[in-house]
Amino acid sequence: MKEIHELNLPENLHYTKDHEWARKQGDLIVVGINDYAQDQLGDIVFVELPEPGEKFSEGDEFGTVESVKAVSELFLPIAGEVADINEDLADTPELVNSNPYDEGWMIKFKPDNPADFDKLLDRDAYLTMLKG
Amino acid sequence: MPKTTKQTPLYDWHLSHQAKMENFADYMMPMWYASAKSEHLSVLTGAGLFDTSHMDTLTVRGKHSFDLLQNTFTKDLNHCIGPKLTPLVQGRCAYGAFLDDQGRCIDDAIIFKMGDTDFMVVVNAGMGAVIAKHLEDLNESEHVQIINWSGKLGKVDLQGPFSVPILQEVLNDADRVLNAMPYFSFKGGWPLEPSSATVTLKNGVNIIVSRTGYTGEVGFEIFCPVQDVVSVWEMLLSAGQQYGIAACGLAARDSLRAGAVLPLSHQDIGDWPFIGHPWPFALPFDPRAETFTKSFIGDKALLKARHKMYTYAFTGFDPRKISLAGTRVHDQNKKEIGTVLTCTTDMGIGRHKGTIFSITSPDKPADFKPRGLCCGFLKVSMALSAGEKVSISDQRRAIEVEITTDIRPARTARMPLQKFLNN
Repeated sequence: MKEIHELNLPENLHYTKDHEWARKQGDLIVVGINDYAQDQLGDIVFVELPEPGEKFSEGDEFGTVESVKAVSELFLPIAGEVADINEDLADTPELVNSNPYDEGWMIKFKPDNPADFDKLLDRDAYLTMLKG
Repeated sequence: MPKTTKQTPLYDWHLSHQAKMENFADYMMPMWYASAKSEHLSVLTGAGLFDTSHMDTLTVRGKHSFDLLQNTFTKDLNHCIGPKLTPLVQGRCAYGAFLDDQGRCIDDAIIFKMGDTDFMVVVNAGMGAVIAKHLEDLNESEHVQIINWSGKLGKVDLQGPFSVPILQEVLNDADRVLNAMPYFSFKGGWPLEPSSATVTLKNGVNIIVSRTGYTGEVGFEIFCPVQDVVSVWEMLLSAGQQYGIAACGLAARDSLRAGAVLPLSHQDIGDWPFIGHPWPFALPFDPRAETFTKSFIGDKALLKARHKMYTYAFTGFDPRKISLAGTRVHDQNKKEIGTVLTCTTDMGIGRHKGTIFSITSPDKPADFKPRGLCCGFLKVSMALSAGEKVSISDQRRAIEVEITTDIRPARTARMPLQKFLNN
């Protein structure tokens, strides 16, 4: 297990209390799980994602991520509509472990209210929460 | 008061190797180090080493020790070896369970015959004192000594095809020790009595080595004095380096044993009658499987409980599983028929055109790359046949699984040792 100071938590991302990360890409928001979550879960063996076009409210479960030991929910940090999903995860779910911020991204969605993005935690606020 | 957790001698080693530690049966144990998946695959294709010093060992010795075990253990010790069901002899071991008088399983165990009136009984973590008391309560003879060696005897499990050449490197007189060593046999004298040593490691440690394990793959359990566990562990890892040995945690142990259709005590077998399950070889059925070849504690209750509840192995169609809280099993007509006992993912197997292959299957398709299959055990109120599909669910989702008699193909546990020896 990684110690908190060993976690890779890039400065340029936003985070959620459920250990997801989010970043803006044009008018979309890209979401995945962060280094802390992948390290805690261990090997990811399956990722269940929604269909593009599905709409979710803030905090809704949009999918599940399944490790060797457990099944965990994925929550959409802000309301929006799914624009794209990472199809590569169907065959190579381990990308979530090896590269959680890049090849291991999960969904892109169009936020109902783009300003909501700024309500997410920055790196320092997330770390403060993690240290509890 | 919070319960204090116990540690094995390897606790510090686990921590210094970044293990994810969790409480298992009151012991802080490694779940995995870097990756449970790669640990699981290492045991299938190479070798893995498990810290199993949390398990307990008893000795039952004396003139009437056999009678006590024969009266309390589900296996008929007079009819248990080989296809001809010959008696348990020195150097062989037998798997079974200890039941209460209602036929409920207190714990499962492996009995080792050390001598005519000398038996070693290996039980699960925290169960040494429980089984010792159970046996004391049922013992009517002055000529039986029951000793719980919890905290004095340690154990590590070396499993996987390369466990054989690795053991060859660390054993003194390896050719003699590994000669004529079938599945469920052992060599060695009592590890805590130096004068009885017959098998030693190159670091001088007096061991019992048995061809047993809990992975379905060829391998060994190595019993040694608890103060030698760390040096035995480090010697095996060092000898195993050239074979790509992996230290493995309990997650890989769980997924390997589920794929090998082996039960976890207190989860797949437990506080209900020990019958109607996929382990009939642990019971002393007569050839027609109608009655028992001996009487033992719990036997009448077992026969009465037949055809009421059934435990089956199952395999899913992809790696998805359910969590064990609030599980349900539904039949094809959506009738609720039971609950799920174990649900995990065997990462070494996958389906190809309807057939399950393992990464070690000799006949696997050329481009076979397993994604893993959900598998485990479920307990239901109606008889089901292999191939029948049922739905298992937790509070989140339902998945379809297939009732089966076997899960991971091409297992190596029972293969001749010769096949794996380095000449």
